[in-house]
Amino acid sequence: MIGIKALRRQKTKRLRDSVLEFLVFTLPLVVFLVILYGTLAWNFYVSTANWVSTAPDYTFTGLKWYQYLFHQNRFWVDVQNNLKWLILGVLPTVVAAIFLAYLLELAPFPGIESYVRTLILYPVAMSFVVTGTIWSWLYQPEKGVFNTILASLGVQSPFTYTNDPATATYWLVLIFVWQYLGFAVIIIQSSFRTAELQEMVEAANVEGASKPRILFSVIIPNIRSGILVLVSLLLINSLKVFDIVWIVTRGGPGIATDVLATNMIVTAYDQRLASAGAAIGVIIFLIAFILVIPYTIYALRRWFD
Amino acid sequence: MKSRSNTLKLLVIVVLIVLTCAYLLPIYVMITNSLKTLPEIQQRTYLAFPQQAQLKNYTDALFGSRDFLIPMAKPIVNSSIITGVVTLLACFFGGLGGYYLSRVKTTFTRVIFVLVGIALYLPYQAVIIPLTTITAKTGLINSHFGLILCYLIINMPLASVLMGTFFLSFPHELEESAEVDGASKIQIFFRIVVPVSLPAYASVAIIIFTQVWNEFFIALTLITPKTQTVQVAMAMTQGSTISPYNLQMAASLLTVGVPLLCFLFLGRYFIRGVLAGALKG
Repeated sequence: MIGIKALRRQKTKRLRDSVLEFLVFTLPLVVFLVILYGTLAWNFYVSTANWVSTAPDYTFTGLKWYQYLFHQNRFWVDVQNNLKWLILGVLPTVVAAIFLAYLLELAPFPGIESYVRTLILYPVAMSFVVTGTIWSWLYQPEKGVFNTILASLGVQSPFTYTNDPATATYWLVLIFVWQYLGFAVIIIQSSFRTAELQEMVEAANVEGASKPRILFSVIIPNIRSGILVLVSLLLINSLKVFDIVWIVTRGGPGIATDVLATNMIVTAYDQRLASAGAAIGVIIFLIAFILVIPYTIYALRRWFD
Repeated sequence: MKSRSNTLKLLVIVVLIVLTCAYLLPIYVMITNSLKTLPEIQQRTYLAFPQQAQLKNYTDALFGSRDFLIPMAKPIVNSSIITGVVTLLACFFGGLGGYYLSRVKTTFTRVIFVLVGIALYLPYQAVIIPLTTITAKTGLINSHFGLILCYLIINMPLASVLMGTFFLSFPHELEESAEVDGASKIQIFFRIVVPVSLPAYASVAIIIFTQVWNEFFIALTLITPKTQTVQVAMAMTQGSTISPYNLQMAASLLTVGVPLLCFLFLGRYFIRGVLAGALKG
């Protein structure tokens, strides 16, 4: 009898300990997660309300503000621009990063790797506000650095960069690619450096496969997970893009470079249409959610297996 | 065979030259022009060295002058307070949460992990309106706590995952033997795990620090003159066409100074943090 009681007491003590452990370790994280998802839900609720002035108004209006957005020309310009960002911000960066990382593996000179790493990684530490400031000066059509350099070389520059509505977004994306290239290279490099892959490359080398062939049929198929992570991170960051556009062009000329994120802040804070702004927020979240699903599944498997 | 290795060498050299130009030009222009006088800037010889280094530009950018109406000193102090507090708290709480997620594998931790994974790169636009309302209603918006709270909410998932990624690669044997000796998880964490994980904490701290210091969207939205961060001040400098380029560049360098120095001197930790963010601890 006494034995059973002692056992039971021990059991409740163990249970109490594990509950205590659970609280100490995860309570802060859980609290912040609850607040975060709470604000997300709240934002969704605002998007279905009728908040159109400084004072909150939570009258339910259904999908009225989504319809409002879908009838807005600006919204569709934003969607197109965001698509340009998603494709051009990610694809060239990943391709250039794979190429560069492979070139560094093959590099015939010593010391080159740490030089290139420092050289192209430093922008990761800088904010888009600062990169935007310096690049908007580089880009300036009349007094800008690029055109001044071209003029001193005797070239009449045909570029007006971000002042040309037709190509302005591309020049903005270039800043993004410039800033994220170093980040992309080190992620690709680290997925090159697994023992299995090095062995496979060695074997292919012995068999006399050419360098490009090794890259395409040995390396790339075997760094899929690295590419998946990199593509996901770049997709999310190019979807979230706000700072570069806001600093360099403010969405202009006209609305040529406007994206959902800049439209959101103009709608919610300048035009005071909080509900419409919240609706844009929901749309950005849904796109982001779809984009991170593969990444989350991969992370979950990697973490718990 | 010989010619092939020569083409490779040529390719490497070409790529090196292109990269060097592309990545040194902006920072070179920034540094040299931040040290020039206004007449020198107006000559538009942007690639030339300054005739005499104008360190006064930096004091002008810090404390304001007739040409520069947005002194950066106070925003730098604001950003330091906000970023410092957020980094410390996020690392501490993130370490706790990340450790639990990396050691206990139940359905519950899986659910938390998925929620963290989705929150990890949450677009700020999706939560900004409620955050504005919360901080305005509670009055936190008028002090540094408003931004501190928002940044903590947003950066906790990242800090937890980064710390957890490091803990996953940390050998379990030591902890297991301590557990056999009857130590609780909490004791094990603080006495055994934390002391040997200080480099991991350093990496995560640098990542969170850089991220918060460089954040612009939330800082711009929750702006009050008293708590203006360095990025918002910088954006105002850039937006006002009256501030001359030499002072703009000096202000830019002041803005990126701290994270850039972190990167240059603690590059190893920085890179490890970036890789942990890619789930490769």
